Amino acid sequence: MSRRQDAHSDQVALSGWQRLSPWAVVLLLISAGATLVRQHMPLLLGAGAGLAMVERFGLRELALGGVLLLLVAGLLSLLYYRRFRFRLDDDVLIVQKGLFEHREFKVAAHHVQHIAAHQPAYMRPFGLVLWEVETLAGEASSIQLPGIRRDTAEALGQGLRGADIAAEENAPSFGVNGRTGAGQAVVRFAISPGALVLHGLTSRSIYVIAAMLSPLIRPLERWIHDSLPQLDLQAWLPESTLLAIGLGVLGLVAVLALLAVLAAWWRFHGYVLRDDGDRQVQVSGLFARQEQALSLSRLQVVEWVQTGLGRLLGRGYLVCHQFGAVGGGGAAESRRFVVPGLSTEQGRELTAVLWPGLSMVQPLARVDVIYRRVVLLRLLLGSSLLLLAVLGMVGPSGLHAAAWGAAAATLLVISVGVAQLRWMAMGWAKEGEHMRIRQGLWGQRTSIFPLQNLVSVGIQQSWLQRRRGVVTLQLDLANGRLSLPYLPEQVAWALANRLLASVEVGQAA
Amino acid sequence: MTFDNPSLDPEGLPKVEHAPLTPVSRRLAPCQAVLRLIHWAFIVVVAWVFPVQHELLAEWQPWLAAAVAGLGVIIIAMGWVEARGRGYGLREHDLIYRRGLLVRRTQVLPLVRLQHVETLSNPVERAFGLVRLACFTAGGRGADLLLEGLSAERAEAVKRHLLTRLEALPSAISPKPDTP
Repeated sequence: MSRRQDAHSDQVALSGWQRLSPWAVVLLLISAGATLVRQHMPLLLGAGAGLAMVERFGLRELALGGVLLLLVAGLLSLLYYRRFRFRLDDDVLIVQKGLFEHREFKVAAHHVQHIAAHQPAYMRPFGLVLWEVETLAGEASSIQLPGIRRDTAEALGQGLRGADIAAEENAPSFGVNGRTGAGQAVVRFAISPGALVLHGLTSRSIYVIAAMLSPLIRPLERWIHDSLPQLDLQAWLPESTLLAIGLGVLGLVAVLALLAVLAAWWRFHGYVLRDDGDRQVQVSGLFARQEQALSLSRLQVVEWVQTGLGRLLGRGYLVCHQFGAVGGGGAAESRRFVVPGLSTEQGRELTAVLWPGLSMVQPLARVDVIYRRVVLLRLLLGSSLLLLAVLGMVGPSGLHAAAWGAAAATLLVISVGVAQLRWMAMGWAKEGEHMRIRQGLWGQRTSIFPLQNLVSVGIQQSWLQRRRGVVTLQLDLANGRLSLPYLPEQVAWALANRLLASVEVGQAA
Repeated sequence: MTFDNPSLDPEGLPKVEHAPLTPVSRRLAPCQAVLRLIHWAFIVVVAWVFPVQHELLAEWQPWLAAAVAGLGVIIIAMGWVEARGRGYGLREHDLIYRRGLLVRRTQVLPLVRLQHVETLSNPVERAFGLVRLACFTAGGRGADLLLEGLSAERAEAVKRHLLTRLEALPSAISPKPDTP
C-alpha cells in the first residue's frame, strides 16, 4: 500500500470526533497536582505555616478539605476530558476544548510548519504521546493534544501531510547529496556517546545551567557562613589562598560541566535524524522521548553554532529555524529543531542536505576595516570609563603610578585584541542562491539561508557612515534580524537589490 | 520537491536606491512636535518641581529644568526636520520607507511577505488627520514596517492597494485565512 493510500485510510478513521486517552487525563491530573504541591510546598512547610494551619483548622478538617479538593479536581478533569475532542476534516485539524469557555481551533494542513510528539517517561507504559502542531504564526500558535495514542498521532501527522505526500509522489525524486525518493527513510545522523558528552561540554547549556543555579548562591553563602566555623577545613584545604580559590573555581566549573553533560544525555540520548523525503525527523530523549518533524519546504534559516570551547574541539550544532522562532536565547533554542554533537565536517554535510545546491566553498568576505576601528573606539571609551570609575573609588594615590599604567596598557591590549577578533569573525558570502553570515567573537554563529527566504531588508547609515561611504545592512529573517555592519555602500545596495529580486522570483517560481 | 536556480542579471535589477519616494504628509512634523512637546513638558515639570533636599542642588534646580527644556527644544526641532525628510515608495513588488536624520534608515518590505495590514491613530494624530499603517509578516511579534505620516485618505488607498496585491499573490506563505 502506498503512503498516499495509508494517509487516506488514516484520514477516514480520524474524520469522526476523537477524544484524548482517559489515561492521559488521569496522568495530567496527577502531574498538575504534583506541580501544585511542589509550588506550594515552601509556603506550607516553610516558617511553620502548615503547622499553624493544622492547629487552626484541625488535621481531620484539613484532610476532608483535601479530599473535597481532589473530588472537584476529578470532576473538572472529567469535564475537560468530555469537552476536549478533535477530528480531521479533509486536511483541516479541528480541536474543540475549554472548561468554562468553549474554544474551537482549525488548522489547515498548508498552514502547518512543525509537528512534534513528546513522550514523558510516565506516559510510556500507556503508549501515549503529547502531540503538538505549530502553524506559520510561530511558537505562540502551537496547539497541543496532551495524551493521544502513538498510532493516532502518526495518523494525524500523515493526515496533515496528505497534500505534501501527494505532491511528493507525483514529483520526480532527485538524488542531491544522497537524498532518496519518497517513502525511504535514510538515517542521516545518529549520535555516539562520545559526541553526546562533547556536545554537553561545548553547548551553551553550561551557561543556562549556571544562570538557573544562580539563585542558590545566597542560600549556599549563608550555609557556608553558618557551617564553616564548625567544619575543620584547615585539615584539607590548601594553605595558599590563591590555590584554594583556584581549586574552588575549578570544582565549580567541573560541577557545571557535569550538569551540562547530564542535560545533554537527558535531552539527546539516542538521537537519530532520519531523512524522510521532504521531511527530516528526529527522535531523542533519555526518559522523555521526543519526536520532531521538520518540513524542508517550511525551513527558513539553518544556523551553525559553535561555542568557544566547541571551536577548540571542532564541535558544534545545527539549529533549524522556521517562522516565528524570534529570539529567546539558549533556553528557547532547546525547544527548536537542533542537531547536536556534530563535527565541523558533519555539520557541513548536513547543511548541504538541508540546503541542496550549497557547497560552502566560497570564503567569507569581511566587512569594511572601519568596523574594527569603531569597535576599538567603543572599547577604549568603555575602558576609560572603567578606569575613571576605579579612580573615583580608590583615588589617584590608591594605586601606584606603575599599576595605573599597567592597567591602562592591559585594557588597551585587550581592546585591540577584541576589536580585531570581532572584525575577523564578522563575515558574509553569497553563494549562488544562498547566503552565509557569520557573527560572534569567541563563540560563533553562522546563519545560512536561501536568498528568497528574506522577510524584509533595511539599510541604515549614520552620519559617520555617510562620510565614510559605508552602511549597515539589516536582514530580517524568520528567526529575527541579522546585521552586516560597515559594508561598502555600493556592495550593500547591490546585495539588497539582489535579495529583493530573489524573493520575488522565488515566489513566482 | 523541485529545485531550480534561475539566473539574475545584477546590472538589470531594479535599484531600490534610485526608486522615487513620495514625501509623507507635511502635517507629520507639527503632529510629532506636539506629541514630543507633551512628553518633554512632563519631564521639565518633574525636573523643576521634584523635591530636592540638598541645598546646592535645590539652588540649581531651575537651571537644570531649563537645561532639560533646552534639550527638549533641540530634540523637537530635530524631529521636525526629520519628519520633513521622511518618504515612502510603493513599487509593484515592495514597499519602501525611509526615515531618520542623523541615522537614516531605508526599509524595504517585499509584498509577498505581507500577512496583514492595520491602520492606527491616536487622538493627536486624528486631530491632524494622520494615520499610521502597520504591515505584518508571518511569525513576527510586532509590525515589521510602520508607515507614519499618511493622511487618512492616502492610508486607505495604500491599504486597499496592499490588500488587493495580497489577494492576487500566490499562497506559498500567505495562505487564505482560516475561520476560527
